[in-house]
Amino acid sequence: MTDLSFTEEQRDCLQELINVAMGLASDKLARFLNTFVHLQVPAIGLVSAAEIPEQFRGQYQGLNSSMISLGFFGDGGLRGETILLYQLDNAGKIAALLGYDDDATSEAEMLTDISSILTTTFLNGLADQLENSFSYAAPRIISSRDSDFISKLEQTAFHWQLALKVDIRYELTDYSFDCNMILLIPGEAVLKLKTILDHVLAEF
Amino acid sequence: MALTALICDDSLLARNQMKKSLPGAFDAEIVTATNGLEALNVLRSQEIGVVFLDLTMPELDGVGVLEAIKAEKMDVFVIVVSADIQPEMQKRVMDLGALAFIHKPVNTDKLSAVMRQYGLI
Repeated sequence: MTDLSFTEEQRDCLQELINVAMGLASDKLARFLNTFVHLQVPAIGLVSAAEIPEQFRGQYQGLNSSMISLGFFGDGGLRGETILLYQLDNAGKIAALLGYDDDATSEAEMLTDISSILTTTFLNGLADQLENSFSYAAPRIISSRDSDFISKLEQTAFHWQLALKVDIRYELTDYSFDCNMILLIPGEAVLKLKTILDHVLAEF
Repeated sequence: MALTALICDDSLLARNQMKKSLPGAFDAEIVTATNGLEALNVLRSQEIGVVFLDLTMPELDGVGVLEAIKAEKMDVFVIVVSADIQPEMQKRVMDLGALAFIHKPVNTDKLSAVMRQYGLI
């Protein structure tokens, strides 16, 4: 079996690349919402994709939560899928700030917009630093108010080997917005990512 | 006597990137710190000419370091090197006395421009 684990140097490298990418996403969010975002060091964790549904069950089960999935495809076989998870109550506050009406049509639109700001900006920032460029599939809202959240997550995670969890807290001036971003990456892309990280590390 | 420069960042990669990106003309001894508290310990115990300071760090963040430098009237140039690039954050650190603000990831061109401007090289 291929070793998908990361060395401490690789983990530190990835953490720093993620910090920079998060900075870009926060800056965009701050400008979009015309507020200030208090940035914290995001906690990252690398786990087997199969563990993901169980890890998030406690945090989201039974709550009105939403998942938005976005597939990304880079050069050299670097690809995967990101899932942005958050509670809809939080999203409602952002929707109000953005001036969306409170109905189902605009909810889908709003979730797609937030995903675009948080996820696409983040991934573009990450790709730049990896000297790669990503293209994206259309975002999918794979769970909403009334569906069985964990089984949806299980179905999605099933296709992948490794999950990079990034726990993010966006603290805005007036309230905080917790969300979790999960990067699901297939085994061969993990090897590619490790090679790229080694390349970055060798430069410095 | 050559100047001593402090690189403060919680990431090993970022500290190494910073060291490698320093212009060759910059003649300084380099010391490092991995969070704001360590940085303050260094600043209080030895003569530091310039600090390259990250903002988002555990223990004590870069803003906390700038506040302490200001409160203790330490005579040191601070160049902030940060991933948090929001205009409000830039204003905040400049108001606290930082000399310049560099967006991560750092590189020699960005550093040289700032350091030349302030006569550090």
